[in-house]
Amino acid sequence: MNRARLWLAGYAGAVLAISFIHEPSWLAFGLLAALLAAGAARWSLLKRAVLALLLFNASVSLAYALLAAWRAQPVWAPLLLINLRVLLLVYLGFWVVERVRLLDALRGWPLLSMVATLTLGQVVVYRRLLDDFRAAFRSRNPLPPKPTTLLRHAGVQGGALMEKALHGAEQSAQAMRSRGSFDG
Amino acid sequence: MHIPDGFLSPQTWLPAWGVAAAAWAWAGRGLAGRLDETLVPRLAMLTALAYALGLIMLPLPGGTSGHALGVAVLALVFGVRLAFLAYSGVLLLQALLFGAGGITALGVNALALGLVGPVVAVALYRSLARFNEDVAVAVAAFVSLQVSALIVALVLGLQPTLARRDDGTPLFFPLGPEITVPAVLLPHLLIGVGEAALTLFVWRLARRKGWVAA
Repeated sequence: MNRARLWLAGYAGAVLAISFIHEPSWLAFGLLAALLAAGAARWSLLKRAVLALLLFNASVSLAYALLAAWRAQPVWAPLLLINLRVLLLVYLGFWVVERVRLLDALRGWPLLSMVATLTLGQVVVYRRLLDDFRAAFRSRNPLPPKPTTLLRHAGVQGGALMEKALHGAEQSAQAMRSRGSFDG
Repeated sequence: MHIPDGFLSPQTWLPAWGVAAAAWAWAGRGLAGRLDETLVPRLAMLTALAYALGLIMLPLPGGTSGHALGVAVLALVFGVRLAFLAYSGVLLLQALLFGAGGITALGVNALALGLVGPVVAVALYRSLARFNEDVAVAVAAFVSLQVSALIVALVLGLQPTLARRDDGTPLFFPLGPEITVPAVLLPHLLIGVGEAALTLFVWRLARRKGWVAA
């Protein structure tokens, strides 16, 4: 088992264990231990995990706090448990991704490796193209564009984006074909 | 709309992983023979589109988040099995790279969004296409999104019943179905219109390029 798979196995075990822990103090201890073990990357990982927590959990937590207060049920203990668990799981996920190259972990599964390679490649292509299109659109519109202009632009650029993305993917696929990726 | 890590009880996510693993095995059977340098770039392109769409999300109080999926067009162009595998990959990447969704929730998310959605989309398209193809595509995309959203809302809403302390306080997602169903479904009625328009746009492109039979 390579190092990447060992990390994944450890991560899977931790995720399973965390799902069965319902004491906030244990979850807080787990988070502290993970922070200490992550080394110099700990604060950037924690920042990303907190941002993800705010994005997905803040609205749910607020809705529950209002509902529980209205029904005269405990508010803080359940919220602490749920948010700590989510924070720890998200933090561990980011930590694993930071330490493990997904493609290394998938080595030995050619089909998964191929799909992951192409999808990750496409994500980069899309991001670059979107940045290019946004910059070009801004340079052509010194004044704020009308909504109809925006819509027309989005439609035309959407088509062009997919054409370019397809072209990029075809090139990747041809490169993979020449290296024998599709040979039975 | 996918469910993040920590929202689902192990009573939910462990069996869902089991069912999803069986479904992945079914979907992957004989796949290597189908993939070639013609199909793979198209699949990668639409998979990356679904990935990008899933990241433009709106937090929903009482739910998780709202966003378009792009999975209906995957299903209509490539079929249910490929769409399921491709969208499962999208969910995995989103979970690992952005914390959107999660590993524990991957089974439920993959089944609700990546399998049930495509099955509904393809079934509706096949039923309606003989009347009007464009309407069939739009309806298939809209309804498949609503069905996926409903399943996600119900699974979330069941959590306070499935896993709670003796005093009744929840251990995982804390809100019941009376809140999650409207909180998730109502915004997705609007998002579904965008999903239908986008699916139609990409479907027409695919048809123009000859990827699907006219």
